[in-house]
Formats: sequence, C-alpha cells, structure tokens
Amino acid sequence: MGRHIAFVLALWKTNLLSAMEYRVSFLTQMAGMMLNNAIYFVFWIIFFARFEEVNGWDLVDMLFLFGVVATGFGVGTYLFGNAVRLSLLIASGQMDYYLSLPRPVLLHALASRSNASSAGDCAYGLLSFGAAVYFAGAFDILMLLRFGLGCLAAVTVLISFLVLVQSLTFWIGNTNLLTSNAFNAIVTFSLYPITLFDGTAKLLLFTLIPAAFIGALPAEFVRRFDLAQLAQICAGSAIFLFLATFVFYRGLRRYESGSAFQVRT
Amino acid sequence: MANGGIRQASPVNGVRSPSLKAALGKYWAIFRTQLVNSLAYPIDLLGRSLLIVLFMWIFMNLWRVTYGASGAHSIAGLTLADTMWYLMMAEAVMLSKRDLSEEMTEQVKDGSVAYLLNKPFNFILYHFAAGLGHSVLAFGGNLVIGAAVVWLMVGPPPGIAGWLFAGAAVILAWLLDFCFSALIGLSAFVVEETAAFRWIYQKFLLLLGGVLIPLDFFPAWLQTFSLNLPFAWVIYGPARLFVEPSLARLGQVLLQQGIWLALIGGTVWILYRRAAARLAINGG
Repeated sequence: MGRHIAFVLALWKTNLLSAMEYRVSFLTQMAGMMLNNAIYFVFWIIFFARFEEVNGWDLVDMLFLFGVVATGFGVGTYLFGNAVRLSLLIASGQMDYYLSLPRPVLLHALASRSNASSAGDCAYGLLSFGAAVYFAGAFDILMLLRFGLGCLAAVTVLISFLVLVQSLTFWIGNTNLLTSNAFNAIVTFSLYPITLFDGTAKLLLFTLIPAAFIGALPAEFVRRFDLAQLAQICAGSAIFLFLATFVFYRGLRRYESGSAFQVRT
Repeated sequence: MANGGIRQASPVNGVRSPSLKAALGKYWAIFRTQLVNSLAYPIDLLGRSLLIVLFMWIFMNLWRVTYGASGAHSIAGLTLADTMWYLMMAEAVMLSKRDLSEEMTEQVKDGSVAYLLNKPFNFILYHFAAGLGHSVLAFGGNLVIGAAVVWLMVGPPPGIAGWLFAGAAVILAWLLDFCFSALIGLSAFVVEETAAFRWIYQKFLLLLGGVLIPLDFFPAWLQTFSLNLPFAWVIYGPARLFVEPSLARLGQVLLQQGIWLALIGGTVWILYRRAAARLAINGG
C-alpha cells in the first residue's frame, strides 16, 4: 500500500513539474477557469436577487454547493486527469503502456495526467466555500473537516462514475457520445438544488447519475452535521468505488492491444 | 525565420478573383459536403440531440417551482409556457452552433493552417460554410426533440410566425457567433492557447446572452447593459422573437444583429488579412 501511495505521489509531482514548464499557460488556464465559474455563478446571484429562495435553498446554500462541487471536480480531474479520457485510451489501444508495467493499471492510467484548468476549479471551490462560511456567519474546525470529507466523497464518486461509464468501451467499443452525455449530465445535475426534483428523479440522482453524492448531499452535510447523511456519503462512495474497480478490471480481460508503437516523453 | 521558411505576402496574391457565382458555388459545395457528412452518422446526431431533453427537464423543475412559489401567472410578461418555449429555442441555438475556434486554434498550432491557406478558397469562409453544414442538421435535431419534450410539459408552441421570424434571426445569430469563434480562433496567431477565451465567451452567452434565464428577469440596469452587448443577439433575440413574434421585434432583432455583424465581422476580416500576411510557415 505504502509503495502505491509513494508511486502516485511521484506521478503527481512529475505532472506538476511538467505543468510548471509552461507556467504562463498553466496560470492562464487556471485564471480562465476561475473566471468561467464565477460568471456561471452570477446566474444564481441574479436568480436569488429576484426569487429569494427555491424550495428552501438560498444563495448561501448555492455557495456551499459550488464550493463542494468545484473543489471536488477540480481535485478529481487534476489528480486523475485521465478519468475524462479513459475511453480514448481503451479504444485506441493506449492501455498497452500501463499493462506492461508492474503497477496497478487503473490507478497508474488515471493519475498519469493532470489538467491545468482543474486547478482553477479547485481554487474557485475554495473561494466559494470561504464566501459561504462568511455569509453563513458560522464556522468551526468541524465544518472544515466536514468540507474535506464532502470533497473527498465528491472526488471518489465523480471519478468512479467516469471510470464506470467509460469501462463500457471494453464491451461496446466507441463510447465517446455516451461519455460526453454522462459527463454533462453529472456536472449539470450536481449544480442544482436537489429540492427541485421529486421522488423518481431523486432516485436517479442517487443511482444512475449519482450527482447528489457530488453536490447536494455533501453540501448539506458541510453546512450542518447529520449522521444519516454521513452514512449515505460513506456508503455511496464505497459502493461506486467498488463498482468502478470491479467493472474496469472485468472489462480489462476483454482488452485488445492496439499493437501500435507508443512514445512517451 | 528558419531555413525553408515561406512568408505569405498576401492571402490572395497571384490568384485571379473568381466570379460571385463561382465563389458561392465553392462554399455551397463545402456546406453540402459537411451536411452529407453529418447525415452519415444519424445515431450520433440523435444522441447529441438528447442533451436538450436533460436541460429542458432541469429547467422545467426549476421554473415550475419558481412560478409556483411566486404565485404569479406571469413574470416580467412571460408565463411558464413562454419561459419554457423561450428556453427551448435558446438551448437549440446554443447546442447546435459549431464552435470553430478550437479547430482553428489547432490548425494554427500544428501548422495545418498552411494547407488551408494555399487552397483556392478563403480560410474564414471555408470554416463558416463547413460550420453551417453542421449547425443546420444539429439545429433540426435539437428543435424536433426539444419541441416534443416541451410540448408534453407545457402545451403547444407559439404560432407559425414565431417559427419563421426566429428562423431568420437564427441564421444571423449563427453568423454572429461564427464571427466571435473566428476572433477567438485568430487570436491563436498571437497567444496560441485560446481555451480560456472560449470558456469565457461561452459563459457570456449563457448569462448575458440569456441561455440560462431570459433577460426579462434581470434587474433593469443589467437588462439594459446586456441588450447593449452582442451576446444577447446571438441567443436572446431569436428566442424572445420565437415566443413574441411581432414585426417591431423582428425589425429590432435584425437591426441589432446587422450592426454587430458589421462591427465584429469587419474586425475579423481585418485581423485575418493581417495574420495571414504575417504568417511564417517553417519546413516543407
């Protein structure tokens, strides 16, 4: 276990050093993504300026929601950057490289790439959480711990969901469209108050498109402690992590090598 | 400049100007090729159109709750049905427009722009014709699926005038959006990485263009501010015309689109000529 952790840390360090070679591009993309998220949030400022609340959710709830989602999304896609292009690696035979090395294939493949713009998501999420705490007027160290746990759950469920969907490539070949639609769906749903949706829709958001585990549920948990929510978050993360790992390695047995020369620099 | 470099003096040097009919024929052929190409993958086309179902479903939940909580039949002159049909048209335009800036940026970065610049067509018009071929089909798919979903949710769409007026405005909206894409794409000649500009433009469209919320719901000062920017005339103009199709509004939308097209299109043209004249292509 310790060896695997040291290996992943070394990968992340290499990715960071690689990004720092193009410092201006890294910072431009980071700042661009922060601005991008901020402009999107203005929609909710305008909305709540006019309608005050929607089914019990107000602007401060949305700040908590954006804090958890953006941080979780940013950390997840920065540290495991290949999670958004796993289907491409599988379909184009690029898993050969990871299979030929004595390291956990999935972990190695996911952590081999970092997205510069994701650092902007992460920074924006932290700012949003800071603003939420300021406007809520309540902060203690336990809230910070809950925020850390909520973000960890968001990262786990998001990356697991992306792996799960793209692992279907092993069986059905091209899943570009499915991946793109699934990605859009989970990001879009996670950024809306869950109280907008009724019973059946809510069930979907906890199962087929688990956006509730990435957004609303951890955001509510960060705001106030609830044992039932903590249990849901832990159970949801564990189940999706197990499913993703299980389905990926099942599919890997069907993987066909691309037999192509690959050069990695 | 490295050995073997070519400096292009002018994008049109030494080429005899073709007749208007021949010129239009070339771009019509590019448009048709792209159209046929998109038709070759009907499942892909259908799959991409399914995204509008997701957005309409979320919007329906959001605005049903909001209208219910406010207790008003209409907000800023729009009923729930008007709002949903407005959002359907706004999303159909948004999801069907082809963002060419990414493609243009890649062509500048990997040097393949050289192969397009020496062809007997204009680089900018080539991209516009190809993009239009893609957008027409995507728009059709989004419109059919989006309209079916919204009809089920809130009842029948606006009358025929709404479809016709909005249709005319959508064509100019694509043209205006294309000018922005070209502006972002051409900036690759200077900055190489254009992703941040693209994200910000998309977000301006979402917010100040009126994709997420009709501009009528904005505070008065922000509404005035948004209507004085070009983004509103890419999305809000056609979508609002769809639910309130009057001749006065049609005139206003087309006039605003025409003014912004002249301004932004003119800027693109000047920048393109300068960039192409300064382009240094190395290697062979």
